[in-house]
Amino acid sequence: MATRRHFLKLTAAAGLAPAVVSAQGKARVVVIGGGFGGATAARTVKALQPALDVTLVEPNPVYTSCPFSNSVLADLREIGQQQFRYDGIKGSGVTVAETSATAVDADAKTVTLADGNKLSYDRLVMSPGIDFNWGAIPGYDEAAAQKMPHAWKAGAQTVLLRRQLQAMDDGGLVVMSAPANPFRCPPGPYERASLIAYWLAIWKPKSKLLLLDSKDAFSKQRLFQNGWAELYPGMIEWVPLSQGGKVTSVDPATLTLTTEFATHKASVANVIPPQRAGAIAAQAGVADRTGWCPVEPVAFESTLQPGIHVLGDAAIMGGMPKSAFAANAQAKVCAAALVKLLAGEKPQDPIVINTCYSLLAADYGISIAGVYRPDKGQLTDVPGAGGVSPLVAVGGLRGQEALYASSWFRTITAETFG
Amino acid sequence: MHRALLPGLASMILLAGPATAADAPPGASSCTGCHAPKKVADSVIPHIAGRKAADIVTFMREYRSGAWPSSVMGRIAKGFDDAQTEAIAAWFAAQPE
Ligand SMILES: Cc1cc2nc3c(=O)[nH]c(=O)nc-3n(C[C@H](O)[C@H](O)[C@H](O)COP(=O)(O)OP(=O)(O)OC[C@H]3O[C@@H](n4cnc5c(N)ncnc54)[C@H](O)[C@@H]3O)c2cc1C
Repeated sequence: MATRRHFLKLTAAAGLAPAVVSAQGKARVVVIGGGFGGATAARTVKALQPALDVTLVEPNPVYTSCPFSNSVLADLREIGQQQFRYDGIKGSGVTVAETSATAVDADAKTVTLADGNKLSYDRLVMSPGIDFNWGAIPGYDEAAAQKMPHAWKAGAQTVLLRRQLQAMDDGGLVVMSAPANPFRCPPGPYERASLIAYWLAIWKPKSKLLLLDSKDAFSKQRLFQNGWAELYPGMIEWVPLSQGGKVTSVDPATLTLTTEFATHKASVANVIPPQRAGAIAAQAGVADRTGWCPVEPVAFESTLQPGIHVLGDAAIMGGMPKSAFAANAQAKVCAAALVKLLAGEKPQDPIVINTCYSLLAADYGISIAGVYRPDKGQLTDVPGAGGVSPLVAVGGLRGQEALYASSWFRTITAETFG
Repeated sequence: MHRALLPGLASMILLAGPATAADAPPGASSCTGCHAPKKVADSVIPHIAGRKAADIVTFMREYRSGAWPSSVMGRIAKGFDDAQTEAIAAWFAAQPE
């Protein structure tokens, strides 16, 4: 056993030699974006191959997590419980550059930073999350978001929406608008509607929630709709695309949302606008005409710019939804593949899992899961696997899934931020 | 049935050896999103690092067949065949508890 272990160590070292020392010294990996994808990628690369020089570029000293931010709206959590610093990542040997990337030169393999520095890389990982398509809904721009918050990047926007809900009179009308696919967190708008209703039912029970949707179907739909009927009868009205759900313009001054069929005056309006990959992706040349980033399904290398890997919400990941679980799982696959590629070896075909919980009340959780592998150039559902929670819950399953949800949150944030 | 699994698994573990994390078998790295590599306070999700490979394989098979009721694990276990499941189990068994 001892000799075998020794032998394996030697072969591993031999195999990794090119990665450790390139002509210029240590091979360099730069990661743009310290969210669930980027932070995980940076620390996993460093853990797998400590000899690599790993820099994480992220302007915010504190990351505010979107997962569980809907619970902040419902007064089930404080915003501070959503926040994570980068000390654990610094402690793991990753260099954190607290600034944003302003330009990527894929030919010169450099990243220009807002603080004036320039980083060279052998491999670049980008996980910049999303940006909003301001103006896609006429009237909805950055200024409008101060009146009609999106709260789709957690932080000040979450706190603003919570304050507006608290200031609303009992009997008020909350209007939400959900975008067409693809967008960050497919079940997110419906979890939000549920948890706002949960809070309204306790504090402002005469109020109503109108959910205007640019789609005719949504994630875990029957589970959500059954849950709404059971928990909040008559409180949530969902308007699908075919019944005039698409919001065609908004007026922030009067909190009015207009659809093809009607005009709705809101007491509180939450507009979740259409999205695209974080702006740096387009600048780097890794986003296509859709605004999202095509990648191959093994190491998630851009099909537009070699040497740049794109993860998480920004990437087109075949059948995988845009979730924190997925971004974290993709980051670990990408990190292992990068270490192989830098060693001149071929990465193995991955299998990637996604699991997303949604809460309909404090003690009522549902889930969706999927297993994905590369097939015909993209990540594809493994047939027969995955799916949603059963429609009929036995033995306290909804309560159990709510507990799993909070355990998942503690685990993934510990793995990502340390 | 449990005993019959053991010889196959024992040789698997030897083959896997003290694998570097980079060589985790396909699928294994996703598991730690819920099953923390180090124990996390206050988690109701079972800790699997350092568990016996045979036990992990048995659970995964029973989740897959539905013999053991589960929430998400049945849906996830169906994405892995026997060989893939055994490789993942052996890898977790070899991790520090
Ligand atoms: C309300 C809500 C609820 C959700 N609930 C869940 C849930 O329960 N489960 C789940 O799995 N997912 C959930 N999600 C989805 C999850 O938040 C995202 O899928 C996840 O954050 C994606 O990770 P990412 O790394 O792609 O992007 P992000 O986490 O957004 O990270 C991107 C990072 O990049 C940085 N960045 C951007 N541009 C630059 C630049 N030029 N230079 C440097 N840094 C830059 C940003 O500052 C940011 O920190 C939810 C989302 C919302 C909105």
